[in-house]
Amino acid sequence: MAAISLLNPKAEFARAAHALALNISAAKGIQDVMKTNLGPKGTMKMLVSGAGDIKITKDGNVLLHEMQIQHPTASLIARASTAQDDATGDGTTSTVLLIGELLKQAEIYISEGLHPRIITEGYDLARNKALEVLESMKLPIEINRENLLDIARTSLKTKVHASLADVLTDACVDAVLAIRTGDKPVDLHMIELMQMQHKTATETTLVKGLVLDHGARHPDMPKRVENAYILTCNVSLEYEKTTVNSGFFYKNAEERDKLVAAERDFIDQRVKKIIALKKKVCDGTDKTFVIINQKGIDPLSLDAFAKEGMIALRRAKRRNMERLALACGGSAMNSVDDLTESCLGYAGLVYEHILGEEKYTFVEECKNPLSVTILIKGPNKHTLIQIKDAVRDGLRAINNAIEDKAVIAGAGAFEIKANLELQKYKDSVKGKARLGIQAYAEALLIIPKMLAVNSGYDAQDTIVKLQEEARLSPDAIGLDLSTGEAIKPRDLGILDNYIVKKQILNSCTIIASNLLLVDEIMRAGMSSLKG
Amino acid sequence: MSTREILTLQFGHYSNHVGTHFWNIQELGFDYTGTEKSECNNDVLYREGRNTKGEITYTPRLLISDLRDTLKSLPATGGLPDEDVQEDFEWSAVEKIQEPVAQKNEYLADIDTKPLNEIVSKKYQLEDQINTWTDYLYPRLHSRTINIVKEYQQGSNESFDIFHTGQSLWKQDYGESFSDKIRNYVEECDSMQGFHVNFDCVDGFAGLALGCIEHLTDEYSKSILAHPIIPSYFPDNDPTTDEEKEISTGKDTQRIVNIAFSMSELTQLATLFVPLCTGNKGWRKPGKPIVFDYLNYKPELYYHSASILASALDTLSYKYRLKSNIYTLSDACADMTGYGRKMAAASLRLPFAIPEDQYINEFLEINEKSLYTSITPSCDIAPDKIFQLITIRGIEEYLMKKDERNPKYSNVKEMFELYFQANHFLSATNVTICEKPLQIKPPFPNIFSEKLNRHGFVTNEKNQTKVESCALMAGYHNGNFLSNTIENLKKEVGRIKFAKLHKFSGEGCEAEEFKERLETLAEFQNNYEECLEL
Ligand SMILES: Nc1ncnc2c1ncn2[C@@H]1O[C@H](COP(=O)(O)OP(=O)(O)O)[C@@H](O)[C@H]1O
Ligand SMILES: [Mg+2]
Repeated sequence: MAAISLLNPKAEFARAAHALALNISAAKGIQDVMKTNLGPKGTMKMLVSGAGDIKITKDGNVLLHEMQIQHPTASLIARASTAQDDATGDGTTSTVLLIGELLKQAEIYISEGLHPRIITEGYDLARNKALEVLESMKLPIEINRENLLDIARTSLKTKVHASLADVLTDACVDAVLAIRTGDKPVDLHMIELMQMQHKTATETTLVKGLVLDHGARHPDMPKRVENAYILTCNVSLEYEKTTVNSGFFYKNAEERDKLVAAERDFIDQRVKKIIALKKKVCDGTDKTFVIINQKGIDPLSLDAFAKEGMIALRRAKRRNMERLALACGGSAMNSVDDLTESCLGYAGLVYEHILGEEKYTFVEECKNPLSVTILIKGPNKHTLIQIKDAVRDGLRAINNAIEDKAVIAGAGAFEIKANLELQKYKDSVKGKARLGIQAYAEALLIIPKMLAVNSGYDAQDTIVKLQEEARLSPDAIGLDLSTGEAIKPRDLGILDNYIVKKQILNSCTIIASNLLLVDEIMRAGMSSLKG
Repeated sequence: MSTREILTLQFGHYSNHVGTHFWNIQELGFDYTGTEKSECNNDVLYREGRNTKGEITYTPRLLISDLRDTLKSLPATGGLPDEDVQEDFEWSAVEKIQEPVAQKNEYLADIDTKPLNEIVSKKYQLEDQINTWTDYLYPRLHSRTINIVKEYQQGSNESFDIFHTGQSLWKQDYGESFSDKIRNYVEECDSMQGFHVNFDCVDGFAGLALGCIEHLTDEYSKSILAHPIIPSYFPDNDPTTDEEKEISTGKDTQRIVNIAFSMSELTQLATLFVPLCTGNKGWRKPGKPIVFDYLNYKPELYYHSASILASALDTLSYKYRLKSNIYTLSDACADMTGYGRKMAAASLRLPFAIPEDQYINEFLEINEKSLYTSITPSCDIAPDKIFQLITIRGIEEYLMKKDERNPKYSNVKEMFELYFQANHFLSATNVTICEKPLQIKPPFPNIFSEKLNRHGFVTNEKNQTKVESCALMAGYHNGNFLSNTIENLKKEVGRIKFAKLHKFSGEGCEAEEFKERLETLAEFQNNYEECLEL
């Protein structure tokens, strides 16, 4: 998307003296584009490509990558926001804004003759102090549904409309709680996100079990069974040529068919073994039998299974094999030689759902649904992707909170508090580095300022109001976006991840410093910026 | 037996140019009237499906990888008509950022508005109107087909030109969603033959493709035929200033290392692989454009050179796409790779143009040059001690003069078999004859000589007619001669000091790895050294 024409791509060739000014102006340019996005009242961006592809997002990282920004400064900032996203799944818009603001604030002092190196020294000190403040503001939480709902809701409301956010919040929290066992780290891979394009429905539901994106490939297989044994296996049930037959030597179809028949027998034996087990465990009971195979199953094998009233699915995703075993019990078999009942899992209900050319198989009512699926329905691709992105971030937020065992008051509370503390700290520092600390303190305010502006309030008024309140209050003070007044974010359940804030402070400080020291870095060769 | 399906994977810009011509040839060859006797089973490469409106679709069984900004007017969803539900999007403030609508060239505008028969008979001059492969793509694609690499874009400072960059991309989300789509396709197939993987082996796509091929090897026990492709030309190929020369040399070095890494990995992972290039050398530079009689093409136009490789790929794969269905991809692989010789060469004769007043046997009698030309770079196909799979199209029976009294052969197939037997000492040749010639329909470029008549045969008359079809021949060949090709690559890469490969080490490549890969090539070369009996 050619949105950022304000950046001059020729900047690469700029001379070092020039480079700093260009870096600053580029970072400001990117900040300008992104700043309206911040917070639950920020603008959503709809990017439409030259061929009509649509992308809807307000995520800073996604925007940086979707928009064509051919500028080394931009790519450095993009790298920081990607790192932020990889590490925490959130805070990317804040990252972009803060880097921009750190450069803006520095510019004021540099224009008065201060050397960039002095500022970056101040930034280092300030960062350490800010981290201390952050540490002191940690709100320890107990891991329960209520607490996790708050953190998930705060995150999701910045990504999708409030009514949808509420639905997603429940789905995300319940999903994480379902797969969490004891104090063991949660493996988010055990939550599958499945998208269904459906013209009339926009809904997201949690399925306690699995949804596979394929169905039985035989017209006679049942579409729905209850009380089912589940055999998960990784065994080829399709005829594949095992010996090498040279085309130089055999000439006609009959000769070939003979060879095929001999090798076919090998597969038939496997099929028979599975059917024998099915007969043993199901015949005379109301039990049914479902095979979910990671390898292929050819039409002849499908035929044999269909005749027995079994459902057989082929080419299951590798990761689903693990998840099936978790959800249904039993174990994934690599051979059919010693099949016994104990190899089998169980599901109360297995059924197929067809949507256009897509088939889905639901495996539900499992013994212990340690693996669950969040099913996302939407009318078109871009809505599905938008919701999927949001769900993924919501899950990350919940997981971050579980790992941190703590949260931070949101709505600008941290930035207001850190600003106050840095002002005090500055006076204890000797020399010009304190100017850097001053600049850093000022830069942090970009977050509450933009939260205010994006909700239609005046930035200065808001900051003054919040600072006054914060000086008096022992609790963290943030901004109520619906009234413009100071509030205690904790009371309203506006909570952010600790790790997100921490990562923002670290990466923004490093990147801003790199950009400020551009002339030194250019002399040392741009390659030192890598990684 | 039922259809034996093939899944095709294309990685990289040039390979997508080749692919575009390839799929154009397929789709423009479809017979919608049901009157033509077609030899080819289209279901091998295509799949039937349904769009969200419930309409039947028929699209290539294909996955494409390319950088952002290469699609231009083609939506990433493939361009099939679909039900587009625009829901009321709930958010208080939405800012729309609209890229200028991509302009369609004359050809694309025509396929949107004109009936096919009108387009087919029109003369186009598209050379100046083509910037990317979608500018002349006729088929519409399935919504899962296109996979754009968003992280990189052409000509930007974050370029995608190192093997390892592609390799690590494969290990990220990109690879995961790509392999999911492979699985979706494979799951649909009842009796798959295997995979075609065509990829640019000179840049990051090499590593990406090999990451994918490794995945295919691990996950599916199916034949993998890989074509590492070297583009016919690079914009830096004709440097004038010293600075340009230096840049060009640096890029050549990068490219040849990517090529060597690709080959070395392919020896381990592919079932059969055949490098392709319309330049005679391939490395360090593509080299001189290969000369084909009666063709005039510009190597700097991918639109031109890719059409040549596409017609070769179309013909080479014909053998295992026939309705008769006796021969499969795994047979081809088995036939070509005896003694662990997984690398083979390919050849092409396009057009197979005999004088219009001559019989094919008369022509062969007086012909002294080799019938085919290698399209594998730095490779001369030896006349002796070779295995070859040859497919000839469009030489129909009436072109052969029957000798009733002394019938050494009774049809074109036998005639060619005899010819190859006589001309290749200690060799085995498997010949496939297809009656139908290659159809030349727009947007296939007008690269044919004016000396050809409508059917692609040589005429003495002055003629202005367009070539509408031509006979051609393509083959896979294997033999000791490929040792020289590997030797040549090894030697060129061996000259490079690892310490100079900053961008590679920057992407995590170590000296040891570089050394090991060259050793793998050397070991592989041994498979071609011994004088093995047939
Ligand atoms: N309901 C709310 N009221 C006020 N501030 C909020 C609210 N929800 C989130 N925020 C604040 O919005 C900021 C996050 O905005 P967001 O758009 O998600 O950007 P980022 O990409 O930086 O996470 C945080 O500072 C957070 O505290
Ligand atoms: Mg956020």
